Amino acid sequence: MRQLCPALLLSLLSLCVFPPCAAASASAAADYHEQLVLRPLPLSALLASFNFRSNTTVSEFESGNFRFFPRSLGQILQHAGTRELHLRFSLGRWDAESWGSRPWDGAREGGTGVELWAWLDADTDQEADHKWLTLTNALSGLFCASLNFIDGTRTTRPVMSFEPEGDHPNTSAHSMQLLYGVLPHEVVCTENLTPFLKLLPCKGKAGIATLLDGHKLFDASFQSMAIDIRPVCPPGGECVLQIEQTIDMVLDIDRSKRPRDNPIPRSLGGHELLCDTSKPYHSHDTCFPADQDANQDWSLSQIFGKSMKGTCPLADPTVPPVCLQVPESRAVYTIDGAVEIKSRDSRCFQISPESDLELLLPPPGDEAQDGAAADILPPGTPPLYAERSFTGYGQERGGVQTILRNPSPDTEVEFVYMESLPWFMRIYLHTMEARIAGHPAPSPDNHPLIQQVYYRPALDRARGTQLEVRMRIPPAATVFLTYDFEKSILRYTEYPPDANRGFDVAAAVITILDPQRNGSGRFAAYTIRTTSLLCSLPTPDFSMPYNVIIFTSTAVALAFGGMFNIMVRRFVAADEGSEGGLGALRGKLLGRLGAVAGRFKGNQ
Amino acid sequence: MRLPNIPGFSLPKLESYISRLPLFTRAMLAAMVVFQVVGLQHSFDVRAWGALIPDEIGFQTLYRTNTFPLIHLNAFHLVLNLLTVIPLLERFESEYGTLTSLALFFGPLTTIPALLYVGVEKHILGANTPVMGASIWAFLLFGAEAIRTYRTNPYFVISTYNIPTWTSPLALLLCMAALVPSSSFLGHLVGLVVGYIWGLGYIKFLAPPEKALRWVEGKLKLPARLPYFVSVDQKTYGRFGVLPTSTGPSSASALHLRRDPRILKLPPYLSLLCIVVGVVWLFLLPFDDYSRRTYISENALLPGQVHTYFSGSDQHVFRAYKHELHALAGKSNIEFNDKLEPIVKGLGLKTARQNFTYHAAGHTLEGENLYAILQAPRSDATEAIVLVAARENVRNEVNINGIPLALTLLRYFKRWSLWSKDIILVLTPDSIAGPQAWVDAYHDAHDTYRVASLPIKSGALQGAIAIDYAQEGRFESVHIVYDGVNGQLPNLDLINSVVNIAGGQMGMGVAIQEMWQHDNKYPDRLRTMLRGMLKQGLGLASGPHSSFIPYHVDAVTLRPFGDGWQDEMAMGRVIEGTFRSLNNLLEHLHQSFFFYLLMQRERFVSIGTYLPSAMLVAANFTIMAIALWIKSGHPEGATTGADKPKRLSTQTVERDLFLPLGVVTLCQSLSVIPLYLFNHAPDNTLTPLFAVFTALNTLLPPLLSHHLTAAAAPTEQQYHLIKSFSLLLLGMFLSTLATLNFPLSLLIGLVSIPLTFLRPLSLAPSSSSSSSPSSSSSSSLMRRRLLAAAAMAAVSPPAVLLAGCALWGVGVGDVLRAAAVAWHVCGTWTQVVVWCVWWPAWLAGSVVLLGRPRGMGTGAGK
Repeated sequence: MRQLCPALLLSLLSLCVFPPCAAASASAAADYHEQLVLRPLPLSALLASFNFRSNTTVSEFESGNFRFFPRSLGQILQHAGTRELHLRFSLGRWDAESWGSRPWDGAREGGTGVELWAWLDADTDQEADHKWLTLTNALSGLFCASLNFIDGTRTTRPVMSFEPEGDHPNTSAHSMQLLYGVLPHEVVCTENLTPFLKLLPCKGKAGIATLLDGHKLFDASFQSMAIDIRPVCPPGGECVLQIEQTIDMVLDIDRSKRPRDNPIPRSLGGHELLCDTSKPYHSHDTCFPADQDANQDWSLSQIFGKSMKGTCPLADPTVPPVCLQVPESRAVYTIDGAVEIKSRDSRCFQISPESDLELLLPPPGDEAQDGAAADILPPGTPPLYAERSFTGYGQERGGVQTILRNPSPDTEVEFVYMESLPWFMRIYLHTMEARIAGHPAPSPDNHPLIQQVYYRPALDRARGTQLEVRMRIPPAATVFLTYDFEKSILRYTEYPPDANRGFDVAAAVITILDPQRNGSGRFAAYTIRTTSLLCSLPTPDFSMPYNVIIFTSTAVALAFGGMFNIMVRRFVAADEGSEGGLGALRGKLLGRLGAVAGRFKGNQ
Repeated sequence: MRLPNIPGFSLPKLESYISRLPLFTRAMLAAMVVFQVVGLQHSFDVRAWGALIPDEIGFQTLYRTNTFPLIHLNAFHLVLNLLTVIPLLERFESEYGTLTSLALFFGPLTTIPALLYVGVEKHILGANTPVMGASIWAFLLFGAEAIRTYRTNPYFVISTYNIPTWTSPLALLLCMAALVPSSSFLGHLVGLVVGYIWGLGYIKFLAPPEKALRWVEGKLKLPARLPYFVSVDQKTYGRFGVLPTSTGPSSASALHLRRDPRILKLPPYLSLLCIVVGVVWLFLLPFDDYSRRTYISENALLPGQVHTYFSGSDQHVFRAYKHELHALAGKSNIEFNDKLEPIVKGLGLKTARQNFTYHAAGHTLEGENLYAILQAPRSDATEAIVLVAARENVRNEVNINGIPLALTLLRYFKRWSLWSKDIILVLTPDSIAGPQAWVDAYHDAHDTYRVASLPIKSGALQGAIAIDYAQEGRFESVHIVYDGVNGQLPNLDLINSVVNIAGGQMGMGVAIQEMWQHDNKYPDRLRTMLRGMLKQGLGLASGPHSSFIPYHVDAVTLRPFGDGWQDEMAMGRVIEGTFRSLNNLLEHLHQSFFFYLLMQRERFVSIGTYLPSAMLVAANFTIMAIALWIKSGHPEGATTGADKPKRLSTQTVERDLFLPLGVVTLCQSLSVIPLYLFNHAPDNTLTPLFAVFTALNTLLPPLLSHHLTAAAAPTEQQYHLIKSFSLLLLGMFLSTLATLNFPLSLLIGLVSIPLTFLRPLSLAPSSSSSSSPSSSSSSSLMRRRLLAAAAMAAVSPPAVLLAGCALWGVGVGDVLRAAAVAWHVCGTWTQVVVWCVWWPAWLAGSVVLLGRPRGMGTGAGK
């Protein structure tokens, strides 16, 4: 009976849930689907890409009928007049040198910390600011993140870097304002994951979301959580509001396979070590390690700490929940009942809703010894490599240097480089210079690297610097983009109350423009975020002067004041002032004595 | 109420105040000082004899109730109490008269509080705390004065609250109890209570009757006999009694003091005192009382709090890497990097290389650095820690274990996910130029023609550890090398962390400054300190870590030594522990000291304690310079006159500044020549060049002096001014330098001491034998001049350099080459101090010594 109960309940549920679901899937407008793509990367890394997508028609959204669309978020969007919203929580960095091109071509990732940009329905700047304030504060509460700290100094209005992804009717396009805010110092952690999962129709209880565990997610070398909401108008159909939630994470297979109760990377036993036995000195106690690309054997439950608990019953059953991108030659074992759908370099697995899914990749066989590349798909080459760092030292000025490398041998790459800098970094725009490595002078004018610059200078304590540079890099060239800046001195109340590590400077956003963007293509072909920077400003050591000042002032005021007062005061002579002191005492005594004497005399 | 007439502070006023102190106050002052002086000897313990110890009070020892205010714990206690009590006592005495004060303060006003204190302390509190010091009088008088103030001005108003004025001493009492350690709250309180009672007039009857006092005064004619006596009878003698006025010859004022000829004789002794105190101060530092135990100031470091797991099969890997390194012995830098780069890359690190070429002393220092960044998972390249392993250490030994250990460690670190900062491994061909080139390029402070830029970078460097592990076999202890370029030091917290981890957690010994054995006694401490000072004074790089320190990246080099049972894994665990500590840092190391002298691994003195030493030595030059300036303004006859006038004449003579300034400027500008020569001459010419320079240097002062006499014939005043300006510059430079590089300033100050005391040779004898004809003494003068020139040459910079080389058994050429390399590579500025501060001062001093003032031959008295 106890076993029957859930089954009964489930069937009841399915009775009441599935008919509308089926109806919705028939219209293909209000559906929900989820998919996990696993892709092994070099250096024993594994990219796990979770994607959840659902939508609701605009009319139902406006009448307050939320089905798969999360109500909490929907109401916020309605209240703040948001047309399109993109929210990113990221941690770590994508190692493009080893891992190749980014998942989703970088479109679903943000810089370190929290990044938010949205198109708001507003006619004036004031209205937009007001709605932005509403939006950030509401999202701050919803996602347990300090989004409410995105104030005027951290908000910019990018001009060239972003374009709406959704389909917006032309009538409303002119009244849409784009606002962009970023919190580079925000540490993304489990308190942000929980509200993220709550937005899902299955709430992380079934389907691929069961694999999302805070311990694993935040132990990843790179992870990015994204929420994208945009209106989509299929040709001929009704416009729908689409919400897409994405989590990309790069797990270190070696680290993930460690049991959770013993995460310490103790050295292996001598016999477990993979050694290069061809070395002449190889012996039982000498071992040249040969394990750099080892650990390519793993199973789903080893990596995520648990196996996948069925599928989400609300999800579109035609979309396979798990796909694995490995070469065709690679052996993959699954549990019985899983249907494998093979395509080139990709295998997807379809399972029944009740059964658990388990994947097992055995160690690569000896036939794959001819190259490590046979175990994994070769990573794609990104269109651009970017690395940004500070130059100079000291507390007064500094510089920023971005190294941009176009790996392509024959295609030039055009992109928009956007920086939103805090106001206390005052940049000297005249020092901005782009030069191709190997050429000492800036490039000749007939082929300028910098095509267009949009610059909005900072106002102290009111808004930050916004710098957008459209650049074009010739094939196989490395370009140094540098500029200098000066550090302002903050007021002491403007320092954050925490330990002073420095101030984080948000990642630069590099949007590589699609060459066919004016035709059929998208606006952005690829997006890159650089790492954030740590800018150290001249900082007093707050506690010490504070203690010293307070303590010594008190002591001096009390001790010196009292002593000085008594030492310098001049007193009037006793006979000039009122009778007192010794004289008074004597006078009294004499008076008494006189009285006694008088009485004595009188008696006599 | 009348506003108090606040006198502005001025020296004459203070002086006149002191000179007019009445008799009893003076006597008490004298008594307290005498007791303090007596207390300096050890045969008779004054404090035990005179202090108010509750248990000791009996009929035999009632004297204690009177003696205890006169005895103090130490000089500081005395000075503080004197400053407080003297004004109060003076006022009391001038109001009540000397006799009354005597009677009261040797009677009730001391004994009542004393007995009260004893009663409360012994019978109520049951304790036995000895008290002493005049502060009880201070509080008593404060109490009395407060009551008075209360009579005339009952309240002071703070916002809307009326606060009775009589409470102000109570506030002071609480403040004293809180601020001054080991002050007796009860003692002060008792004094204050008695003061209140006295102020309220309840014990005025204890004062001796005025009539009797007047009678005594009259009979003994005390006011006339005793100076500064304050009579009881203020009606007769005025409110303040008979006080000395400034009419008498004995009353000196600042103006008179200034004209006193003796004042000009003082500065040389003052200078000497400064030097003696400065040197003695330095030698006091190793004592327990003057140095402190080290402590971890930055709590985030938590050194030694984590388990270290670097062991087990990592040792197998270490052996393999060591074999790889062995195979590379003797290979060129490029081949070495070619071989190592794939290994490092295989660890999952981002690698890059950097070329550098330095030209120094005719040599070309070139090489290629290989470095690799371990990108911390989950972090974002904002901060980094550096692990440096040079292929050769500073003694040109191959770092045979260091590089394999660094590689194994990085491989191990890669397995952890807890790093909050990137870890950068830097493999350099040598220990000085390579790290310097890398750090310069990392901060973009490099000359791109000599040093290549870094292709990949990480975030702000938070710390660096260099491994210098050339020793084979097991070791016993770790040697921490911490001296940076130009005497800069890493934050003390870093050294403390390593000491804590290696010494405390791993249980190995820790040594500093090549003191392989250290018994933590005075001689060893002093030796450690002096070695450190010498190294910092020379300002040379002492290891791969030295280059990091100028960029505010705290760094040390760790070098295992000795024959013990610790293996490479133990060394690795020390580094692991240190890296884990640095990884904990939330902010840059800033909490602890950057200026310190270590005298044992757990003992140091900070800048506040040691700085006076160098400052005093530097101040002696300034004092002398000022004295000479004053002296040069007085007519010559006034000081050399035989009749010894009581005062200097007030007239001044005009100072002829052009020639002295010209000579000093010439000396200073000549200094550019040796600075340039020794930094740019090729290696093989350095030793001959030095010999030629030394010879020229010996001849230069007589030559310069001769030409000066022939061309301008300076007067005695001008010689004084030359010396004054030269010393003024020296004092200024050295005191500034003392805050940057204390040991260098002190060393230069000590070898320049003779410059303070020299004066024109022909001047010294002529003042004593001015009456006799000078022709007969010309030959002896000549001999003395030669002697003096030789003596000056002995303290000249080249001679001191030679002596130093002989003492440590190194070649002059090697030293000069090392200095030139340091100048070009590390930016050491010791040379600038030697050639542009010390040498010109020495030159000017020699010219003065050999000078022949005009008019001295014809007779002094003019």
